[in-house]
Amino acid sequence: MSGLFSNVFLTALLFGAVTAAIPLLLAGLGEQMSEKAGVLNIGIEGMMISGAYLGFVGAYYSGSFGVGFLTGALGGIAVAALMALLCVRIGLNQIVIGIALTLGLEGLTALLHHFQFSRSYPRLPAVPITEIPLLADIPILGPALFKHHLIVYFSVAMVLVMIWVYRRSQLGLNLQAAGDKPAALDVAGIDVIRTRTIAVLFTGTMAGLGGAFLANVGAGLFIPFITNGAGFLGIVLAMLARGRPVWVLVGALIFGMCLSLTTAAQVAGINVPTDVIQMLPFLAVMVMLVLFGRRASLPAALGIPYERGAR
Amino acid sequence: MFSKWKRSILSVLAASLLAGTAMAADVTSIAIMTPEEGTDFGWNQQGVDAARAAAEAAGIEVIIASGLGYGDIRPALREIAADGASLIIAHASGYATSAPEIAEETGVPVAIVDSPQALKEGLVADYTLSGHEGAYLAGRMAAKMSRSGHVGIVVSGEPPSWNSQSAGFAEGVKAEDSSVEITYAVIGPAAYSDAAGGRRVTESVIAAGADIIFGQGNGSSFGMLQAVETTTAADGEKVLFIDVIGDKSSVAADHLLTSVVWDITPVYSAMIQDLKDDTFGTKRYAITLADDSVQLLKTDLVPDDVWEEIQEIRGQIVAGDITIEPVFEATAVRGLMTDVTAAE
Repeated sequence: MSGLFSNVFLTALLFGAVTAAIPLLLAGLGEQMSEKAGVLNIGIEGMMISGAYLGFVGAYYSGSFGVGFLTGALGGIAVAALMALLCVRIGLNQIVIGIALTLGLEGLTALLHHFQFSRSYPRLPAVPITEIPLLADIPILGPALFKHHLIVYFSVAMVLVMIWVYRRSQLGLNLQAAGDKPAALDVAGIDVIRTRTIAVLFTGTMAGLGGAFLANVGAGLFIPFITNGAGFLGIVLAMLARGRPVWVLVGALIFGMCLSLTTAAQVAGINVPTDVIQMLPFLAVMVMLVLFGRRASLPAALGIPYERGAR
Repeated sequence: MFSKWKRSILSVLAASLLAGTAMAADVTSIAIMTPEEGTDFGWNQQGVDAARAAAEAAGIEVIIASGLGYGDIRPALREIAADGASLIIAHASGYATSAPEIAEETGVPVAIVDSPQALKEGLVADYTLSGHEGAYLAGRMAAKMSRSGHVGIVVSGEPPSWNSQSAGFAEGVKAEDSSVEITYAVIGPAAYSDAAGGRRVTESVIAAGADIIFGQGNGSSFGMLQAVETTTAADGEKVLFIDVIGDKSSVAADHLLTSVVWDITPVYSAMIQDLKDDTFGTKRYAITLADDSVQLLKTDLVPDDVWEEIQEIRGQIVAGDITIEPVFEATAVRGLMTDVTAAE
């Protein structure tokens, strides 16, 4: 146990917690906008796996992580566009379409992987790191929190951007109205379908980035089913956060920290059933739900397709 | 009159016996269903390859259904049963509940893993295999080659087959050098495809001081490999990886120290024979060092002298001079790790 409480080990745990949290943060922020606008985006898992596959393909063939994140985002947008077409424009059932997209994309990416990578399982090199001057020199915390790829800082910055959008911008008001009283928004002359489409496409972008992060930074490779339910956790975080982006960040970090704590507990040789230890992240989310989610109110028109003039 | 009835009864009995014999011998195809693609250089690939080899040896057809995931496979089981498979091999511990149900429903025999209590004559066989003898050798090798005196075990779940190998590895380490520290970590309850989790946990175990990782995971083992390839040990040198079941040397030659390679072909061949002999579901199957269905992979990273020492130990196991009992229960495995740690 000599290495258990060394700086290197503690740094690795914290670094791992941040790395595990970022895909959930991106997915949660994306889902939050969809839900605000009244679209329950169950297909976010499919958007993530699409982003993971195309993100890896982009990074692998171009040799650039930046290109990988771009193609990952495009992968998420492509699935989101389909979701927007079927659920927002045509008005089909959001849950059914979301599940279908997720299952379809899981199968499609597994098939593509089979033909493309299943004999070689290529892996990416170590991700390039950007240090925040001075802060990166703080023992333990510095290397864990301030030595990451730019996408990590971008993800955290997006929390601030989303706070501004929801509180200060016209778009934020439109999104809120599209989710609560779409008819009123329509009467005010704002296109509800367009507003919801923007929200779904934003979700696709963020989910695609989250998937690309998971594949390129989290794992360094793509394998079938790699997202492992991260999109669904993003939905849970978005619902718990009650429309507040900062709570998505808090929830994602708690989940990531709990994952790292489970590893620490095992490495420390704590002789309790692993199943119990593994429950910790999910238990933490449930506690969050009980403590903070009781007063959660979802948008009145969530999951209901908008049809002008319909009663 | 009596003799006429007697002759009739005897004829019916003879006809039934002949028909029964014909049915028992009528094995025309086997099917294997795997959760991931049969190209993972591990559990899924070894299963698919073995099914192909066993079917070819028996001169029967093989049906491959791979990449089925870890969810409900009842519809796929029904479909394959309807296709006329004589035996369905449900090649994942997660299928051990649904496959026997479909066997009861359709009458098609199934082979499952990690459920030895589920044996049912003529219908359900279990092939919970254990490469614990090979894992023991890997443990001996790891203890000989660890620079830091600290090795790690990372697993993506705790099915019985992997538990026995984790225990075998720990026992091997302990037998070689009881001062070597062992760190044991599970990625998740069933995190077989969690490559990101595999990488994260492995990096933490390396940060705790391990310089050799014994990894057990399907897709997640590639995340473990990524961790050993992109992280250095505490002494700044490379971390080595010990794999199980398959041979990943073509995709990870620089860091793959060895692998506990399984050949499941004899097991599937025995199942086909048991179906023919009408003894299916009455016994368990095993893989061993003695018949080479378990082997330790020789790579360039293993020095010749170490390899020779390991081969001597292998000879002692085959001769019965060293006995390694399989440990299938997760609690017992964790207890063993605690003991090993306490022994330092």
